[in-house]
Amino acid sequence: MPHVTARTPRMAQSGSPKNLPADQDASSTSTRVIVKTPGKEQDFIVADDTSVRQFKEKLSAHFNCQTDQIVLVFMGRLLRDHDTLTQRGILDGHTIYLVIKSKHGSPPLAHCSTDMSTSKACSRDESIDENSSGVHQPGSVNEIPVDSPLLMKPEVSTEQNQNLETGTSEHMAQMLNNSSFQQLMLNMNLMRQFIDEHAEMQQLVQQNPEVFQILDNSEILWQTLELARNLTIIQEIMQTQPSAQNLEPPQNPQPYLGGETIPGGEDTLGQIYADFSDQTPNHVHESSGGNCVTNLLSGQVPEQVQCSRSVPPPAQEQRDQLPQLPTTRVIYTGSCGLSSANATLNRMSHTARVSASTGSAKDQSYKCALQQPAGVPALLSIQPTQPPQEEGKDDISPRDFDQRLEDEWLLWDEQTSSQITGTMMQLLMNNSSLAAQMMMLLSLPQLSEQWKQQMLQTQLSDLLVSLANPKASQAILQIEQGLHLLATEAPDLLPCVAPYLWGLGWFPAPSCSYPDIDMASWSWDVHNVPEPKEPESCHKSEAVTQNLKSLAKDNSHFLQAPEIRLSKQMKYLRAMGFGNHHANLQALIATEGDTNAAIRKLKRSQGF
Amino acid sequence: MEPPHLYPVMLYVYDLSKGLARRLSPIMLGKQLEGIWHTSIVVHRDEFFFGSGGISSCPPGGTLLGPPDSVVDVGSTEVTEEIFLEYLSSLGESLFRGEAYNLFEHNCNTFSNEVAQFLTGRKIPSYITDLPSEVLSTPFGQALRPLLDSIQIQPPGGNNVGRPTGQS
Repeated sequence: MPHVTARTPRMAQSGSPKNLPADQDASSTSTRVIVKTPGKEQDFIVADDTSVRQFKEKLSAHFNCQTDQIVLVFMGRLLRDHDTLTQRGILDGHTIYLVIKSKHGSPPLAHCSTDMSTSKACSRDESIDENSSGVHQPGSVNEIPVDSPLLMKPEVSTEQNQNLETGTSEHMAQMLNNSSFQQLMLNMNLMRQFIDEHAEMQQLVQQNPEVFQILDNSEILWQTLELARNLTIIQEIMQTQPSAQNLEPPQNPQPYLGGETIPGGEDTLGQIYADFSDQTPNHVHESSGGNCVTNLLSGQVPEQVQCSRSVPPPAQEQRDQLPQLPTTRVIYTGSCGLSSANATLNRMSHTARVSASTGSAKDQSYKCALQQPAGVPALLSIQPTQPPQEEGKDDISPRDFDQRLEDEWLLWDEQTSSQITGTMMQLLMNNSSLAAQMMMLLSLPQLSEQWKQQMLQTQLSDLLVSLANPKASQAILQIEQGLHLLATEAPDLLPCVAPYLWGLGWFPAPSCSYPDIDMASWSWDVHNVPEPKEPESCHKSEAVTQNLKSLAKDNSHFLQAPEIRLSKQMKYLRAMGFGNHHANLQALIATEGDTNAAIRKLKRSQGF
Repeated sequence: MEPPHLYPVMLYVYDLSKGLARRLSPIMLGKQLEGIWHTSIVVHRDEFFFGSGGISSCPPGGTLLGPPDSVVDVGSTEVTEEIFLEYLSSLGESLFRGEAYNLFEHNCNTFSNEVAQFLTGRKIPSYITDLPSEVLSTPFGQALRPLLDSIQIQPPGGNNVGRPTGQS
């Protein structure tokens, strides 16, 4: 085929129409036009009086197609055969667009329900709405509303449709073995979509936005998917295990606030768990997790006991590793704890635990995080609600376990929720970024008012102790006022101040989500995030400002009262051997005078 | 001869930042940007746009972005729907595949510009096509370039425009 790029009029093109002058001189009658096809551009020299038809013939020879297939467009006008190029106003250097019609006719447009717009697409549309509502609903900045780019490849949609429809294990096995499916699973965005858009997951998410937070965390999803990849192995393991027995819970499952655990109670329970989990091989964790994952993926509610609670949190190292806990893990357990749906709670906690038990070094911190006193309330609240559902597979007889749990249950029941918050507050004071995350959770509308007040109150009491220095409290007040001023004068700048807010352990402003955003996919909801957050953070600032103000005024005054109030308990504690006066006081304040609880608290915090 | 049938061609312009760019750009970039523009071409009662997932189409205003922030009349075209879809298919296979998406150099506005020229011979307004260079000419833009380069935008709500396999 002749090579075309004629830049000078002198170069004649072979196969040119007959009207081209035989001599090679630049002729004023020839025109150089640019023909653009999708993807490339070529120059053509034609004589001025070339008709469109002739030009088409030439092009058809060049592009190896029939003349009838060629469509020429110039300035939005279709060039008809009978015109000449000059008639259409095509001059030197103009661009003509070329479209080669396909022999079989063009494909219909997708919105008329073609193969592309399968049920996947339809569900995608509705799920987009649900997703967006699910995204805005929790309103928590922690949950990054990432609408992952929809990768619309045909294999994807068909395979996903298959995934939705087939639920049997054989199919699952087949699918898992399919390498392209594995590649799909590797694609986090895709799987996230997939999980998000399943109808039952939608329901689940709507009922429990915390689930969405869990699911939104790519790490958890990733690890869950890792497990799912080993599903075949897991299934084999599962088959070899005795099914868990449903032992009766000692009491009815209580709502979270009622059934909260006691810091002290964690001790005994922790020991129980330590015993139990030591004898439970790791793969059991995985298998139960895998089962969860299967259930999650297929959208079934894991009411079966296998999935739940088989994995008492590997309770080992917990409290010692307090400082190291990665914040986000605690958030998930924290958010676990905040849900009042136990079934969901189980699922989520198992997802979290599943992640924990996958057994990498990173996951050690998962386990630690899960065992944190702040996190443990969440999990331990699960224990009371559904304690006996562990798999009775190992040497510890379930009954033993159960009885000890019952005893503990009674003990726990006597305590109030403020104790747990006291522990949490201690944790928060130790780890300011954790505090920030917790404050974020506070802004969740789902949180009960009671919880918020308790948090604030306990925060008060601990803050009191640590704000013994009046200057410190004044400084913080000033900062608070400054922030308030900033919020009113220039709310736009709040995002810029976010780092400072983090350090203060306060409301991570909306822009804290910016560093966290997976920038590979753009968040559409960026505009929504700052706006609702700013008024809320102002509101919160006010609340805390007021608290602090009252603190500052009543500082010394308030401090006296507990000391006097608790002097008896203090003496008792000292007699028991707890020499740290300050710690004793803190513990007593947190437990509101309950000596036993305070002792447990102190023991734990001092690492017995 | 009957007058050729003309189809109107519109350019839908969306501000991806929903006003944030207008407020923050003086601070962050040092120059005023009116918006982060995403555009799409509307013709034959369909909206066509390019994202990281390739060329997509949807009913006008049917992406998650909602209705456009402004509409520009590009002109009119004789190109029929059939020819246009052919054209898009071949574009989608050559120049505008999903993986060719680049936020700065080969984005939705590049596509809209190309299609507008095909349909009407006119380009889209320059404030849209100049946006990447505007951003890159600031120190902030330069600094963030690696990060921004990796951003892939795909407005949800569209269907892929494809060509069945085995075509000539």
